[in-house]
Amino acid sequence: MSTEPIRPATDVPDQPEQPAADEPAPESDLPWQRLDTRVVWVDTAKTVLSMVPASVAIAFFGAEINWNTMGPILFATAFGVLGGLADLLRWVKTRYRITETHVERRTGLLVRQHRSIRRDRIRSVDTSARFRHKLAGLRVVTVGAGQHSAAGEAALTLDAVRAETAQRLRQELLYGGPVERDDPAAAEPAAGATPAHEEQVFARLDRSWVLYNMFSFWAFLMAAGLLWGTYWALNMFGIDLRGFVEGLADWDAIGTGWTIAIAVATVGVIGVVGLAINFFTENWRFVLARVPGDRGTVLRTTQGLFKTREVNRDDNRLRGAQIDEPLLWRWMGMADTSVISTGLSIWSMTPSAQILPRGPVSVARRVVGEVLETDPSPLDRPLRRHPRRALRRRIGWALISTAAVTGLLVWLTTLIDAMHDRLWLAGLGLLPVTLALAVVAYRSLGHTVADGYLVTRSGAWTRSTVALQGRAVVGVMFRQSLLQRRLGLATVTVTTAAGHGGYQAIDVASAAAVDLADSTVPGLLTEFRATAADDDASEPVEAQALP
Amino acid sequence: MSDQTIALRPPEHRVERRAIGLWTLQSVIGFGILAGLLTAAYLIFDGARSWLGPILLVVAIWGVVVTAVMPVWRYAVHRWEVTEDAVYTVSGWIVREWRVAPISRIQTVDTTRGPLEQTLRLATLEVTTASSRGPIKVAGIDATVAARVAAELAKITQRTPGDAT
Repeated sequence: MSTEPIRPATDVPDQPEQPAADEPAPESDLPWQRLDTRVVWVDTAKTVLSMVPASVAIAFFGAEINWNTMGPILFATAFGVLGGLADLLRWVKTRYRITETHVERRTGLLVRQHRSIRRDRIRSVDTSARFRHKLAGLRVVTVGAGQHSAAGEAALTLDAVRAETAQRLRQELLYGGPVERDDPAAAEPAAGATPAHEEQVFARLDRSWVLYNMFSFWAFLMAAGLLWGTYWALNMFGIDLRGFVEGLADWDAIGTGWTIAIAVATVGVIGVVGLAINFFTENWRFVLARVPGDRGTVLRTTQGLFKTREVNRDDNRLRGAQIDEPLLWRWMGMADTSVISTGLSIWSMTPSAQILPRGPVSVARRVVGEVLETDPSPLDRPLRRHPRRALRRRIGWALISTAAVTGLLVWLTTLIDAMHDRLWLAGLGLLPVTLALAVVAYRSLGHTVADGYLVTRSGAWTRSTVALQGRAVVGVMFRQSLLQRRLGLATVTVTTAAGHGGYQAIDVASAAAVDLADSTVPGLLTEFRATAADDDASEPVEAQALP
Repeated sequence: MSDQTIALRPPEHRVERRAIGLWTLQSVIGFGILAGLLTAAYLIFDGARSWLGPILLVVAIWGVVVTAVMPVWRYAVHRWEVTEDAVYTVSGWIVREWRVAPISRIQTVDTTRGPLEQTLRLATLEVTTASSRGPIKVAGIDATVAARVAAELAKITQRTPGDAT
């Protein structure tokens, strides 16, 4: 096996396949710095505070120390105390420094860990703060270098430094500002030099968006968890929640059906309220703005009430945008908005690529247009419909999947005696659903090329509309199954370094497939285009010539 | 209805005829292991025979069909070409795939040789771009040709400036 890397990996800062960090940094005699000393106070306070509930329960309510009543609270206390102590140890053992070329961090008690990230590979410097950090004026700094979070590569975090230091670090690392090591105070004016009036604000939190975030299946799950926790907590202080609820009404007189209905409604209401509160705490004072920096502009979101989160996305790495509309909520125009950019996480619960909270699609479309600075917005362009034959393929899938489920049920009924003989009819009952999904999926298909953007739309459960810059395309791919070939359809995929790595126009007319790719990436396919003579590409060619 | 492929001409070069042998061997070994495990389970677990039987039968028939049809079919489809500006491949059998990558976006060029390929003096050329959708692969070309093409590609790509994204 021979491997020939074409260039040293260091010349290729955008290459996601390369682990972006963890290479030996050159020796430097710069002094190592500790995290902020206030971390110690925060940790101590955290440790003491976590002992309070248990102490109160024992001291004032005379709670007996046994596992039945005190189990969860003792567990939580032990967890809190150990967590606080572990965090103290982490502070003792962690050092960091910023040299001319690298950001380095040493940490770890049993396993010594030394991480370094080349400064020219840094793509994002984010600050966040939990409530306790905010009280102490601390910030957690996360230095991202395009690592694959899916592959378990973590960003380098400094947990925590003072807010001023965090601001200074960001200025230095992102915009290549002066590295003021000796006199941190002198660096602060430079950090604050970003003129506020040049900020271009695209969106602020609109309270009505809460409507889009309240109703979800998660409401029930959240409420169940909340009620369970409350029940246990109150139980420890001698309050019997169950007895209270039982005493509220004469449940026997109401009847089982109504009792269940009332219970579900109550849990649902609690969940919905919980989700609403959660939405506001997470997105409080949400602002999306374009902020200037030395290396160009960054797209910045700030949000959060107790835990503030600030994400900066380098505009030089912006390659497009995507709007996702879930099917069941399309009637109210619900949409998720994200940017397509190299080196941003897309697989986490709070992906950095997402630039707006879940909200109305009209706002999403306006913001995308403004962020991409294209008028009219590529996502507002009328899309070309795909040939009707694409619907036939989808109806085929619907029939096949229904037949498969029905067949499986029939087979299982012959195998298992306990199953009802007519159960396979339930499989047939799927047919209307799958057929409806087929039509929905067909209707969402669309594509166009405009202003240098390839715009494609597809999806049944979630309709995704994607606009990707043609200059971001690093390859073109066509796929055609036997059936697609019979129907005269083909799927065009453009691959890119940004976002999901590739975006598809599914089932375009095969005659139009090459034209679509060609107008996205002009010139690339010219030399491979079929001439009229050898139109049938499947004809074998006689001789085999070697290069 | 007549078949309609996309409007691209096929790439210039076929893969080696020996690749038919490679794909046959791979298919035989793969299905052999799967059928072997299923047969073992069938013999050991009496209670599961009623449902393992049909599965075993389907796997066996599918394995025979694939081994008979796939290698020749693939040989008819698989083609590749390297020009001054792009790498162009066609692969697949039931599902056919055309891939084009501009030379300016190539990041690494590798050749890999598995044990089967080594015995047949074949190699796989892998061309990686910055996309996470995986490299462009040309399987079943002669090992010496693969090495030469890899070296040539390396030379061409080094002349191209930019960070390949």
